[in-house]
Amino acid sequence: MMPQVTTLSNKERTKLPHQEMPLRPAESRVLNFDEVPVGYSNDQALSESLRCLHCKKPACVGACPVGIDIPGFIRLIEEGDPAAAAKKIRETNFLPAVCGRVCPQDKQCQAVCVVGRKNIPVGIGNLERYAADYERTNGTLEIPVIQEPTGKRVAIIGSGPAGLSAAYELTIRGHEVVVFEASHRAGGVLVYGIPRFRLPLRIIDEDVRFLTRLGVRFVYNMVIGKVLTLEDLLHQEGFDAVMIGTGAGLPRMLNVPGSNANGVYSANEYLTRIYLMEANHFPKYSTPVSSGKKVAVIGAGNTAMDVLRTAKRLGAEPTCYYRRSHDEAPARSEELKHAEQEAIGWRWLSNPVEFIVDENNFVKQIKCERMELSEPDETGRRKPLPTGNFFVEDCDTVVMSLGCSVNPIIPSTDAEIRTNKWGVITVDSNTCQTSKKGVFAAGDAITGGSTVILAMGQAKKAAAAMHEYLVGKPVSASFEVLNGVPATVS
Amino acid sequence: MTDRVNQILQKFDAHIVESVTQTLDKVKALTDLTQDEKLDLAKNLCELFFHAHHTSSTLMPKLAVTTGKRIAKFGPEMIPFLIDEVMEADGESAVYFGKALSRFGVRGLDYTLARLNDCKDQDHDLINLMQVLSYFKIPETANAIPTILAQAQHPNHQVTAMALYTVGRLTQKLQTSAFSESTRSAMFDHIFRFLSGVQGLVRKNAARTLGKMLRRGLLSHENEKKLYNAFLSITGRDEHHNWDRAFIVRREAEDFLPYFHAETAPVKLYTQSFKILSKRLLCTNTYHFTIDAPLIARKIEAGQFLIVRPHIFSERIPLSVCGWNREKGSVSIIVSAVGKTTTEINTMGVGDAFQDVVGPLGERSIIPADAGTCVVIGGGYGTGAIIPTAKDLKALGCKVIGIVGARSEDSLIMIPELKQACDEVVVTTNDGSQGIKGFVTDALREVLHRENVTYVLAVGPVPMMKAVSEMTRPANITTYVSLNAIMVDGTGMCGACRVTVGGETKFACFHGPDFDGHKVDFENLMKRQKMFVKEEKLAFERMK
Repeated sequence: MMPQVTTLSNKERTKLPHQEMPLRPAESRVLNFDEVPVGYSNDQALSESLRCLHCKKPACVGACPVGIDIPGFIRLIEEGDPAAAAKKIRETNFLPAVCGRVCPQDKQCQAVCVVGRKNIPVGIGNLERYAADYERTNGTLEIPVIQEPTGKRVAIIGSGPAGLSAAYELTIRGHEVVVFEASHRAGGVLVYGIPRFRLPLRIIDEDVRFLTRLGVRFVYNMVIGKVLTLEDLLHQEGFDAVMIGTGAGLPRMLNVPGSNANGVYSANEYLTRIYLMEANHFPKYSTPVSSGKKVAVIGAGNTAMDVLRTAKRLGAEPTCYYRRSHDEAPARSEELKHAEQEAIGWRWLSNPVEFIVDENNFVKQIKCERMELSEPDETGRRKPLPTGNFFVEDCDTVVMSLGCSVNPIIPSTDAEIRTNKWGVITVDSNTCQTSKKGVFAAGDAITGGSTVILAMGQAKKAAAAMHEYLVGKPVSASFEVLNGVPATVS
Repeated sequence: MTDRVNQILQKFDAHIVESVTQTLDKVKALTDLTQDEKLDLAKNLCELFFHAHHTSSTLMPKLAVTTGKRIAKFGPEMIPFLIDEVMEADGESAVYFGKALSRFGVRGLDYTLARLNDCKDQDHDLINLMQVLSYFKIPETANAIPTILAQAQHPNHQVTAMALYTVGRLTQKLQTSAFSESTRSAMFDHIFRFLSGVQGLVRKNAARTLGKMLRRGLLSHENEKKLYNAFLSITGRDEHHNWDRAFIVRREAEDFLPYFHAETAPVKLYTQSFKILSKRLLCTNTYHFTIDAPLIARKIEAGQFLIVRPHIFSERIPLSVCGWNREKGSVSIIVSAVGKTTTEINTMGVGDAFQDVVGPLGERSIIPADAGTCVVIGGGYGTGAIIPTAKDLKALGCKVIGIVGARSEDSLIMIPELKQACDEVVVTTNDGSQGIKGFVTDALREVLHRENVTYVLAVGPVPMMKAVSEMTRPANITTYVSLNAIMVDGTGMCGACRVTVGGETKFACFHGPDFDGHKVDFENLMKRQKMFVKEEKLAFERMK
């Protein structure tokens, strides 16, 4: 018998055990691309929700880039109404099923959770996922109230997290929204970059489908800047405002001998071939990926974890090469943990200096220099220093997961769009408006590489400012770089 | 049974066309029929309704309609009999009963409606009676629409679907003046709800009926707008996501999209059909395709390329463009079957559509600032790709010399088109079957000797482009080559198309595809092109 909700004191709540997210066993999950965490059961969700202390000033809400009412939705789960909880999340976050799965909660809401000071923090992400999954599987999703049509038209470039959120925010405000997508599938990085075992495709498809039900139009195969320019959209096609959500889609490569050898992929290419073009079903799907037996993955970010685990599922022996140590790995702790469970090789403090190729230019070995960490500098980060010791290991595929730069197609086809020296689009930090009137930007295009939830937070901000702009209120336009330094796995 | 009726019916066989024709003629000749005689005749003739759709004869359905006409001539007292028979009928037979009953006009309508109200729980009867109602053409039928739509609330979705179908048929048949303003909006509101029904058949019929209302101009401006948005959502304007799970529903919505008025659908849908408008054999395994892609055709420039995905299982491959027509909205490509995907493309015919065509990608060809003597060189199917640039050069006022290389006379392509774009065309073949025997470099050497060439563009196999670049290097003639690296997305996202130019790594998809030939690392490109040779071979063999 569950204890009565209202009678639990805070002390009793803190004593309740944390509910671990049930995972599929590592031995069997590496055999296919099915989702690894299976999700909370009803009882687990209820037990976990009871651990929330409902702080008067909840720190978790402040730590959430979109400001979800976290204690509010947990209270609704506690009261046994997950449908209402999902509705509550949807007030601020349009993609709860996605965020519950891919958000770095351990660096955001769960990092500041009061319970977490002495104990394991409340599983906010898992509860969010539970509510969203309940909503989806039980069909309780309601069509939100859509404001009277304003007669204004908005073009959104890119259908990734930023584009989808902005499309939602602007549609419910009564604007007509058209989303232009360059590839043949909506979802952007959610489709081509995040593995299916972390985020099943059906979740993205449902969210996209939901948007089309609201009246959002998706147009595929449209590379804006090429087939239509920003000028065309604003002056010829009659759009009143444009939002750029093109993301950071320009892979960075190591500039060492052998970088252009055969069998050397960028993480983007490797994941795109598999997840967008279904290369794991080759030759049923014609796109090949020559994933060999020994896959060397350079970097230790979230994407690197995705590549390692994907390679494992393709039957390879993946090994991670990172020039710092385990503790500095930028990947989300959960991802790192899941990857470690899956029998993957690790070469910490190893800096690749050369990819040795055979006579046909196929990579056959990787040469690394052993590194050591310096004392923490003023930023607190420990720099890797070369030791002069080298080692060579066999590999037949190399995947570089070193982060991305911003895709230059749009800035290069419109002179009015200003960028900083890394190619990141400069915007006003309050309104997300770019240097071109009526053009806004959000997501990785203005940060140079960040998380899904941060992109969504910016998209919300941009959408609010766009609404003001569209209904005729003045929008401030002091251009400064928002978080202008691109995130790198250095 | 009277003798004369008996005589006629003895020879009547509902399965034989001649027998039916003769019987009908004899029935027509009869006069002063009594009530019983009429019933006897009707009972027997009705048999035909149950058989007409089983026969392979195309005449039989027509005869069944004529039979209905004869029975209708017997007078309104036949109505109860026919209605009783309808209850026994299957769906196809009910059509003929409907056609017969519709000839009784208002009386037939009233009687059918009365029976409709009587048999609320008989699903089969309801369906047949509604089928019958759909054949009435008198304007009064419009008043029956609320009654029919009331049946749509039936728990059996087959009944609902039939009710919607009936209303759809009536919408199409009756004169628009038969529908009052209030009927129209009530109809719309009622049917629109069924667009989100659970059963695909119900959604399909609702979409079809609403589409017919739209086509006949029965929708108010707001309702039209509402329907437009619903149809866009159903179709998703995209077949990748199965917006409405049922294909039949999507197809209905798709069919009616062109009927929306311009003020309702002001937004261009940005859809390009990617249909093949023409296909022409150039040489063995090499075809010239014209594809419908108006948005791409409006923007494309010489040197840019397309990414093509012929169907959902295939890969995305880059193809260069050999021409376009901005007015007609078409682009032309040349496809030579060398692997799986290109072979698949070459099996497509006029009217087939590509799943995806993305473009225009890459930068346009760099052409010299001042007019001079220019040489454009095409090897193999690269011959097509140099034509747009040749045209641009000529428009600039340059003297354009085209050099074409091929294995033999049979594999020379696009020569007439190139001759139009150039001042002079030099043909080389490896076996000497036409023009100079040798390679394009042999022709180029001769041209460089006699002309003051300032600009060279080479498109074709990598060894050819390399040889051309080596030849122009001593005289430092501006030389561009178009690199056909392996690509996936074509927008710079994946980095598969990395090429080394002047010691730097460049992406062929957006820094190129044209690069300075003197700086390109051709060795690396050639090796990178062989990255998937094993897989390509496997896929190609599996295909066969």
